Amino acid sequence: MGQHDEKMEMIEPAVRSFSLNHPCSRRQFLKVGGISIIGISALGPVLARGEARPLIIVEQAQGIVVADPVKCVGCGRCELACTEFIDGKASPTLSRIKVDRNLNFGPKGVFALRQGQGNWGDGLVIQDLCKQCSHPVPCADACPKDAIVVVPPSNVRAVDPEKCNGCKICLRACPWEMISFDPDSNKATKCFLCNGKPKCVEACPAESLSYVPWRDLRNKAPHRMTTTAVTLPGKAEACQECHLAGAQKIVGQGIPKFFGGVKAGRPSSLRGSGFKWIDMVGTALLSIAVVFVTVHGVLRGVVKR
Amino acid sequence: MKRIYLHPLPLRIWHWVNALMVIFLIITGIELRLPGIAGLSANSTALLVHRYAGWGMVISCVFWFAYNLINGNLKRHYIIRSHDVKGILRQVKFYLFSIFKGEESPFRRSPEGKFNPLQKLVYGAIMCIFSGVLVVSGVLFSDILFFRRYILRLNIIKMLDAVHVIAAYVFVLYLVVHIYMSTLGPRVFSHIKAMILGYEDEADEPEMIAVYEQGPDEPGATTALVSSENTVACQECHTEGEGTNIDG
Repeated sequence: MGQHDEKMEMIEPAVRSFSLNHPCSRRQFLKVGGISIIGISALGPVLARGEARPLIIVEQAQGIVVADPVKCVGCGRCELACTEFIDGKASPTLSRIKVDRNLNFGPKGVFALRQGQGNWGDGLVIQDLCKQCSHPVPCADACPKDAIVVVPPSNVRAVDPEKCNGCKICLRACPWEMISFDPDSNKATKCFLCNGKPKCVEACPAESLSYVPWRDLRNKAPHRMTTTAVTLPGKAEACQECHLAGAQKIVGQGIPKFFGGVKAGRPSSLRGSGFKWIDMVGTALLSIAVVFVTVHGVLRGVVKR
Repeated sequence: MKRIYLHPLPLRIWHWVNALMVIFLIITGIELRLPGIAGLSANSTALLVHRYAGWGMVISCVFWFAYNLINGNLKRHYIIRSHDVKGILRQVKFYLFSIFKGEESPFRRSPEGKFNPLQKLVYGAIMCIFSGVLVVSGVLFSDILFFRRYILRLNIIKMLDAVHVIAAYVFVLYLVVHIYMSTLGPRVFSHIKAMILGYEDEADEPEMIAVYEQGPDEPGATTALVSSENTVACQECHTEGEGTNIDG
């Protein structure tokens, strides 16, 4: 017996340190049990997130470069600084700030002539800058390789050259044609604010450019062209984790297209998802109401006669 | 028949402006709902119209509430009192059954109380609950950075969406009935005309006896007083057919 007690004296502290076989109150049991249930159930989404999920940018950018057209003299040093420091070559077409292309006629191009802006119009030189779009980021949503990513801490939207395969889809997706393409490396590139220290701002001799906290400029600048970009099907499905279930394509503007959209309904791949039951119940109730009202009206007319 | 001024000018203007906005909101709302909002670009027409009409709706609801609160209309026309509860049932019974027998509505409108108990209930619920829910959830949707942060953190956008859509269905349901009920007046368009001009034709309380008791000063005056509509009221006491040649 004595030997046994000795053994137990040795084992007990060891067991206690592992907190196995420890006397456990009901409260502790519930606590630990509850925490582990929550923990295990939380593992599901965490593990699922590890899978290849289409990248949807939700984070807001922190900064933006803005330009004052009145102060700009159109010297193009910002473009030089941009490409010199980032790419190591002078190439205005590759620049992420675009002044040169608007220098003579403004964003409307040659056809605007003296009615436009720029040196041939009202003398203002209009600078095109990346708007660092908030949530539906057109270029990122169009990229099939998820190569346009958010880079903290300024949450800037930047092209990841490792992922980019040079398909040029993002060039058509940006409403302001702000994505540049480098034919030498066969990669797209866009303004990434030089990770918080924009070289163009430092290079501007006229103090036209400044780096400021992000503000929404998307509605201030007119679109350059109709975007041909469509949210990719995989991403549109991911959109539905937050938004309503629905079609991937733009259903369009105008009444005829609207009726077309209504007739076509939801695409079959998505018919099972979303709050379909609300629509079902709502439509059923609505039809009942319409039938009831019609019957009521007809009956009233008949009885009056 | 007498004409009573039921709808003051600001409310009439509000009603029709609101109606226009609601129509816009419903059309664009269907366009956003059925094919889905996820694939729409941020500047699609439907989204923009829905957004701006929605802001108009916010202003309109605030105006309606403020106007009616200051005017005392809310207290006068909308608060349901204990005796109204029976009136709701009576009104439902009237619309479901007695209207086919050609009976008059059991409620008499006056500037002091222009809605019958059922109208009080429905209008009150639509304006105070469902419009409120629609407007508040709509404002939360409208991409305001302050709210957006919390919505994303709490992950309630699907719930908000469901609430918004359910309230919208209730609103459309109400609208169908509302438009139908507006044709239940003496003529098909008389209620709509009243909503434009402000004057509603209202059947008199049966007061003919009191008029008769005063006695006509001249012969022939009685016939002038007893118009053809009011003879119906006479027949509540007299036998049928008697009223037509009452001074005969």
